[in-house]
Amino acid sequence: MKPSELKSLIIGSLDEKTDPRTASKKLEEEGISYDFSKGFSEKVIDKIFSMPETVVREIEFVKSMRFIFNRVALTGVAAIILLLVSIFLAEGSLSFNSFLGIGDSYDESIVYLLTGN
Amino acid sequence: MKGSYSQAEDSELISASIAGDKLAFSEIMERYRKMVARTVKGMLGDSVFAEDIGQEVFIKLYNSLSDFRGEAKLSTYIQKIAINLTLNEIKRRKRFFSMFSQKGNNEMHEYEIADFDSEGKRDATELVNKALMGLDPKFRIIVAMRMLQGYSTKETAEILGLPLGTVLSRLSRAQEQLKQILRNL
Repeated sequence: MKPSELKSLIIGSLDEKTDPRTASKKLEEEGISYDFSKGFSEKVIDKIFSMPETVVREIEFVKSMRFIFNRVALTGVAAIILLLVSIFLAEGSLSFNSFLGIGDSYDESIVYLLTGN
Repeated sequence: MKGSYSQAEDSELISASIAGDKLAFSEIMERYRKMVARTVKGMLGDSVFAEDIGQEVFIKLYNSLSDFRGEAKLSTYIQKIAINLTLNEIKRRKRFFSMFSQKGNNEMHEYEIADFDSEGKRDATELVNKALMGLDPKFRIIVAMRMLQGYSTKETAEILGLPLGTVLSRLSRAQEQLKQILRNL
C-alpha cells in the first residue's frame, strides 16, 4: 500500500461512519501491529513470583489496614450522625450551646456554676 | 486443568492465578499482551519506557486480581489499568520536560518525533507512531482506542469514563489534527 493510501486509511478510520473494528483490522493487515519485545512475559512472571515473601505480606497488611480503616471510618460517621440526631431531638437545635449541653441554661446560672458567685 | 489453560475461561484463569498458578497468569498475559501493547505503545511510542509500563500493567493486574469482581470484562479492567498507568507516565514526562522548558508539552512532542526520525525507518507502524506522537495526549488516547483497538465511540467513553459528547468532539478534533500532521510526514 502506498503511503498516501495508508494516510487516507488512518484518517478514514476516525470517521464516525466507519466501523472501528473493520478499520482497525484493515490497519493490522497493512502491518500496523504492536507487541512487546521477546521475553516480556517471562520478565513479568519473574518479577511477580520472585517478589520476596515480606513484600507480599506487606501488601496483605496494607490491604487489611485499608479494610479496617474503612470499617472504622464508616462506624465513626454513623456515630456522628446518631449523635447529631440525638442532640437535635433533645435540644431542639444544633447550636454550639446544644453541643455543650448548656442550651437551656441562662448565662447567669453558667457563671454561678463556674465561679460559685 | 493445570498446564492446559488455552481453552479456559477468563474467570478460571483469574481464580487459578490468585491461587498462585504461574501458567494461568501466563495465559492471561498471552491473551491480552498485544492489547496492552497497542494502548501503551500507541500512547508512548515504541520505547523502553513503554516496555516498563507494559510490565507494570501486568504486575498491577496480578496484585489487584483479588479485587476484580467480574462486573466488567477482564479486557476492560486491564485496559483501564493500562490507560491509567500510561497517562501517569505522560504526566510524569510532561512535568520532567516542563522543568527544562516553558514550552512543556510541545517540547515533548518535538523530542519524540525527533527520536523516531533518527532511526530513519519508514514502515507503516512507524508512520502511525509518528502521527500519534504528534497528537495532544487527550486526543491520542481517543485515537489509539478507536484506530488501534477498534473500540466504538460508546465503548471508548465507557472505558475512559467520559461523556459520549466529549469523546465525539475530541475524535473530530483529533481527526483534524491528524490530517495536518500526516500532511507533513
